[in-house]
Amino acid sequence: MRTELQLYRLMLLQRLVEERVMALYRQGRIAGSVYTGRGQEAVAAGAGLALGADDVVCPLNRELACHFARGVTVAQVLANFLGRASGPTGGRDGNMHFGVPGRGVFPLVSMLGDLVPVTVGAALAFKRRREPRVAMTFFGDGAMSTGDVHEGLNLAGVLCVPAVFVIQSNQYAYSTPTERQMVNTNVAERIRGGWSIPCARIDGTDAMLVYETVSEAVERARRGEGPQAVECTTLRGHGHAAHDDARYVPDEARRRFPDPISQLEALLDVGEAGDVRRAVEAEVAAGLAEAEAARPPDPATLTDGVYARPL
Amino acid sequence: MTEDITFLEAIRAALADALADDERVFLLGEDIGHFGGAFGATKGLFDEFGDERVIDTPISEEGFVGAALGAAWMGERPVVELQFADFVSCAFDPIVTVAAKTHWRSGIAMPVVLRLPFGGGVRGGPFHASSPEGWFAGTAGLKVVCPATVEDAYGLLRAAIEDPDPVLYFEHKRLYRTLRGPRPDTAARTPLGRARVARPGDDATIVSYGGTVGVAVEAIDRLGADVEVLDLRTLWPLDENAVLDSLGRTSRLLVLQEASRSTGVAGLVLSLVARRGFELLDAPPALVAPPDAPVPFAPELEDAYLPTVDLTARTLEELLAY
Repeated sequence: MRTELQLYRLMLLQRLVEERVMALYRQGRIAGSVYTGRGQEAVAAGAGLALGADDVVCPLNRELACHFARGVTVAQVLANFLGRASGPTGGRDGNMHFGVPGRGVFPLVSMLGDLVPVTVGAALAFKRRREPRVAMTFFGDGAMSTGDVHEGLNLAGVLCVPAVFVIQSNQYAYSTPTERQMVNTNVAERIRGGWSIPCARIDGTDAMLVYETVSEAVERARRGEGPQAVECTTLRGHGHAAHDDARYVPDEARRRFPDPISQLEALLDVGEAGDVRRAVEAEVAAGLAEAEAARPPDPATLTDGVYARPL
Repeated sequence: MTEDITFLEAIRAALADALADDERVFLLGEDIGHFGGAFGATKGLFDEFGDERVIDTPISEEGFVGAALGAAWMGERPVVELQFADFVSCAFDPIVTVAAKTHWRSGIAMPVVLRLPFGGGVRGGPFHASSPEGWFAGTAGLKVVCPATVEDAYGLLRAAIEDPDPVLYFEHKRLYRTLRGPRPDTAARTPLGRARVARPGDDATIVSYGGTVGVAVEAIDRLGADVEVLDLRTLWPLDENAVLDSLGRTSRLLVLQEASRSTGVAGLVLSLVARRGFELLDAPPALVAPPDAPVPFAPELEDAYLPTVDLTARTLEELLAY
């Protein structure tokens, strides 16, 4: 499949799965909370597709398409949202909080920034073993205020490891706009100037641009040129979570950021795009059916796996 | 006959042997490279194993502990030195958030060892003499160990490095150069999860660990009493059966620790005994531990703070007389 169509498929998978998830949440069929990456799919898909088969990644809440790029299935994702035994966490954690070790995907933790040092450590392992692999993570303009991001970026530079950081500058950290997070809102400039890590600032609604820019960053890291970063400017299309109507986002901001999916769709052959859409719709329906049919977790197993080797 | 080595040398030997035996093992920490570590625990290892096995880090506990977890995800066996256990507060988040919960929710093992030089008696004051093990003992997913002998300093560290779970290894600074013993064989391992009877006895049990095991033994010697000392060695998960077995024989319990009285491991032991050992008791359990205050600096204050042989002996006398 051509790159444009692959990106379109991944973005559409994220969009349709998230729309389904929102509907299930409103029907009370998904407990807890739901986070989506609406409007940010181009970053998730473009960066995810830029990785090689042996690379690893720590995606966050807004990067469902990255999971799909790694080969995670719709049924696995929805089983996690539904808290089923068959989901990647077996009901131990919900929504986007899951990893799939066999696919090189580390599970998200809610403490933003934590996975930046973890990514650096995975990249350090590759460097020590002289393996041509890279480790990637995402974080947002909000997480830029955390100590972990600073410590992780600094460590990545000092250890000169093949780590790639993709920043989703989505304008809001929950309800707090970027200018209340930082004085200099140009994250790329801060990363270049503060940590001497190459960092382009690009339009995060352009999936092909994200794919090409992140691919170049990935290959530079793979060649031994040290840590790389790409700042993608986007707008979070939904609230922080499903309960948040995001009325604090002005219409003007919404007009500035086009929808990444319709933008790419406009460039595609109508017939080809239609084929992809139908295939994605079928994939989502089949995945949902499989996840809904799966068993709930058995309470007797809830302490299983607290330790890899119980004492 | 080889010469005796110190507690600190046993730690260094365990690190050296683990580095030699397993390519996946590497060390990470502040000033551990050419400088050899603040206490000299890694002295010589940089020259022997090179800068890819013994890695100096920036002053960045949250960063390098997190990085160790990422390397563990990739199947490495990182051993991290926190320069002082007190500084583990900076790395609290990756330990309790990532290290403790990852295997349970994803099946990804986190074989990381954190070495934490802890404890008072070195005039370190509130930021260089703490006993923060109680922040972690009780946290599901973590293992917490603490050697009290040269043999266990070596054996517990080797076992911790070979264990697939995150292990916090608390090493008491006062023992570094005061304890000596034969160099353990390279095959020596102290199994995790097993307490040790440090001194057998019939009339009471002192449960302790780390730097206060020696205090317990000295207090018993001073009284000439027939009292058992149980050295926990693994603080979490607790070796519950060892505590109850000993109490079943002696019927009297004294818990002795250097952590201030409402933290540390005493609460776990006393809760266990209240729940499962009540019928075994002939006297209310006693606790010898510092007051609920940070570790003070001035010698007069620190000496009054730390549990002494005197206080332990007096408390033991009262317990035996009850």
